[in-house]
Amino acid sequence: MIFRIFEKEELKKLFEVFVAHNRVVGAVEAGRDRDDQPVYAFSDVSDYNEIKLDYSITKLPAKRFFLPFKEELATFRIENDNWTKDISYNIDRPLILFGLHPCDINALNKLDKVLLHSVYPMPYYAAKRKNMFIVGMNCVPQPSCFCRSMGTDTALHGFDMFITDLGGRYFVEILTNTAFNFLRHIRTMEPMEEDHILYMKVVEKRKKEFTAQVDTTDLTKILDMEFQSDVWKYWGDRCLACGTCASVCPTCYCYGVEETVDINLKGAKKTKILHSCNLIDFAEVAGGHNFRPERHSRLKYRYYHKHRGFVEAFEESLCVGCGRCGESCLAGITVPEVIESIRADGKE
Amino acid sequence: MDEREPGARTYLGVPLYRPKVAFFEFTSCEGCQLQVLNKEDTLLDFLSLVEVVNFREAMTEQSDDYEIAFVEGSITRDDDVKRLKKIRKNAKVLVALGSCACFGGVNQLKNRFKDLNFVKTEVYGRHPIDSGPVRTLEEIVKVDLKIYGCPVKKEEVEKIVLHIAIGKSIVFPKYPVCMECKRNENICLFELGEPCLGPVTRAGCDSWCPDNRAGCWGCRGPADDPNLDQMKKIMLEKGFSEETLLDRLECFGGFSSLMKKGNVNEKDL
Amino acid sequence: MDPELKFVDIAAQPYRQQQRRDDLKSFEYSYRAEITSIYPLTEMETLYRIQIVDPEERNRFVFTPGQFLMLELPGIDEAPFSISSSASVRGEVELCIRRVGNLTNFLPRVKRGTHVGIRGPFGTGFPMKEMHGQNVILVAGGLGLVPLRSPIAYVMENRSHFNKVNIVYGTKTPSQLLFTHQHEMWRKDDIDLNIIVQKADRSWKGPSGLITEPLKEILTGKDRDYYHNTYAIVCGPPVMFKFVCNMLNEFHIPMQKMFVSLERRMHCGMGKCCRCNVGSTYTCLKGPVFDYWTVMNLKEAI
Repeated sequence: MIFRIFEKEELKKLFEVFVAHNRVVGAVEAGRDRDDQPVYAFSDVSDYNEIKLDYSITKLPAKRFFLPFKEELATFRIENDNWTKDISYNIDRPLILFGLHPCDINALNKLDKVLLHSVYPMPYYAAKRKNMFIVGMNCVPQPSCFCRSMGTDTALHGFDMFITDLGGRYFVEILTNTAFNFLRHIRTMEPMEEDHILYMKVVEKRKKEFTAQVDTTDLTKILDMEFQSDVWKYWGDRCLACGTCASVCPTCYCYGVEETVDINLKGAKKTKILHSCNLIDFAEVAGGHNFRPERHSRLKYRYYHKHRGFVEAFEESLCVGCGRCGESCLAGITVPEVIESIRADGKE
Repeated sequence: MDEREPGARTYLGVPLYRPKVAFFEFTSCEGCQLQVLNKEDTLLDFLSLVEVVNFREAMTEQSDDYEIAFVEGSITRDDDVKRLKKIRKNAKVLVALGSCACFGGVNQLKNRFKDLNFVKTEVYGRHPIDSGPVRTLEEIVKVDLKIYGCPVKKEEVEKIVLHIAIGKSIVFPKYPVCMECKRNENICLFELGEPCLGPVTRAGCDSWCPDNRAGCWGCRGPADDPNLDQMKKIMLEKGFSEETLLDRLECFGGFSSLMKKGNVNEKDL
Repeated sequence: MDPELKFVDIAAQPYRQQQRRDDLKSFEYSYRAEITSIYPLTEMETLYRIQIVDPEERNRFVFTPGQFLMLELPGIDEAPFSISSSASVRGEVELCIRRVGNLTNFLPRVKRGTHVGIRGPFGTGFPMKEMHGQNVILVAGGLGLVPLRSPIAYVMENRSHFNKVNIVYGTKTPSQLLFTHQHEMWRKDDIDLNIIVQKADRSWKGPSGLITEPLKEILTGKDRDYYHNTYAIVCGPPVMFKFVCNMLNEFHIPMQKMFVSLERRMHCGMGKCCRCNVGSTYTCLKGPVFDYWTVMNLKEAI
């Protein structure tokens, strides 16, 4: 890997190079909560001052830029009782994601496995992924972050360049030629031995700041063994079945398809809408039978998919430990607590 | 609903059903009907799907020859009952339009008072008005279809009418408003220090109120299998009183049947 | 060195139909097909024959018994259906459709000649070749006969490759019996057909009771050789195949030789939407046809 060092004011120049000819998305302040704390969101940015480089975590992931909540899979032109199908992958220009944290980069890497590198790759996702330039940035661990337990606290790949704040200057890892070329527009230097030492210190310090933890040892087996456990009912009683956890999850990709006819009858649409396995109709089939009518069975399925099924298929969990679901859940259901309770139940 | 006019419009070769429809109102603000007339860019297409024979807000002609009756408002008077029964007799399909028709709406709040005369004096002063407790349409006649909302969402009404025309089944979201609210990228109202019934209220409004930074009041009634016990815990945890919760749950009447079941204790008023 | 990123246009790439499972463009690609025949089977079910319009595409559309496809009526709905016809006919399928959903409410009014979209075929099929030289028991409960009709067609077309063949078919009432016009034909092909209904009416001359009753008769008194060389294909509601498979198991027919087809509501058919997942297994990719051993190991399958 190629490393560089650059002065802090150079970052603004780099941003301006980006934004001059490209669409840039970064974390901005979307509002303030009841305690006057900033609430962050990913949004299109044109002004460097709008970008919050030190954002804690965004409420919603950057998912809508690669897996929009609603997306047209196809449109139909209806003429003389016949139809023509038009397919668009709904993207016409590249996108720079500026300041993505390691958890969110790892989320993309995980999604790539199922949506890009398995059978029947999804072109709607692929088109956006292939037109994405990612500038990673290190974060300050929050109390709800358990990414270290999920092995996603650092990103090894899945970005073009990754920036770490060394205090006085920025340290940058360069993964792609495109990133290298972009960096030629600003002043960078070869890192010296002392920069490496400083980098290691910063990394070490950050590592120690993580507080939340999840023990994932043998989790796939434990989930199987505790499939009938009453602990699920406890969480099911609390669950609102509102789908918020899936909406704020950077890796949830489940969806439903809806077909609609335009009111003028001249066209029709096939729309993909992200769903959530916690919603009551997730496993309903034609004729009305529901394979998971109870809240706890749906909540259990969610954990089962993320922490067992995905592991079985891809040797890793579908959770990056960003903690968004727990933070957004009004019922206060958090991944570390659920997993801990399942584990504890097994020990009894 | 199987009669087809010869030469009717078709969709994929299937003739469309173009019903004669009528709009009526009882105790209400008539805002739902106004919604139907709203949104000019699709109004003509919408009207081409049906033949409106009775719509006081939009036209002067009146006819009793209709197949679908859209009825807005709740029932509060004896002559209302007679009129509604007549509409039921004329119509093949009776649609309850909006929260008042479906649940009693804001009007049913007066049912909370044991002494209705007190309410009447407060509202109408010394002018005597013949008005009794609020009832939903369903308490008087059979209702074939309910369109929720205060007011109804025009897009949803359009979709329903289109589905009737084409012969597609009509389905409503079974999940709560939160799903749409997150889709619209709102900051959670609780986070902003506002109470909200989004987690238990049926979606379909496209999180209309939360989009405008106003917490949900449950006008569309409960989602399928709503978790009211947890909703109550959340409200208390976030520093809102049980009264605040009840005010919202009771506001449109959509949750009344669930509250009587003992999910949330109704306060004696 | 251009600071403007170059747009990669996936949509402009050609569609490699031969690599359907890897090609990005296959995802939303649908064959234009025509409804060529509409045949009412019962009050609720209708058989639709659907033929791919383009002759070249017709030739390319090959499936195995047990697979399903996605049928789309633009603007109305897209839904999964098991293919219910012979796999030896290329580019043409028969689907038995019951009036339940959006699509199926609209379909009864659709005329012959209407164009629909089909995607697929998807999922696993019954391993018919593996069964060569063996006895086969095909058990169907209710609508389960629909996916079973394709392996039945295979058995008929390759009758000499199979030893004893039994079909056991049960419905709630006689009026729900499907494909009655073909029952005689199956019998004439040296296939033992047992039909049983739960509730007989006055017109019904056959036996009534549970499907496991005729099955037990068939299985009882056979020699070890029979049990060791018998495959079973079981389709129907989960409760039914659980009882049937348990009975087959009592007679020492190995679970790996029993095949069932699970019904779920796929929205994509390609392992993406997760709607058909059982436990964490995609029914659309690893199924819908599973051997019973696998089903036993799936959480929440039965």
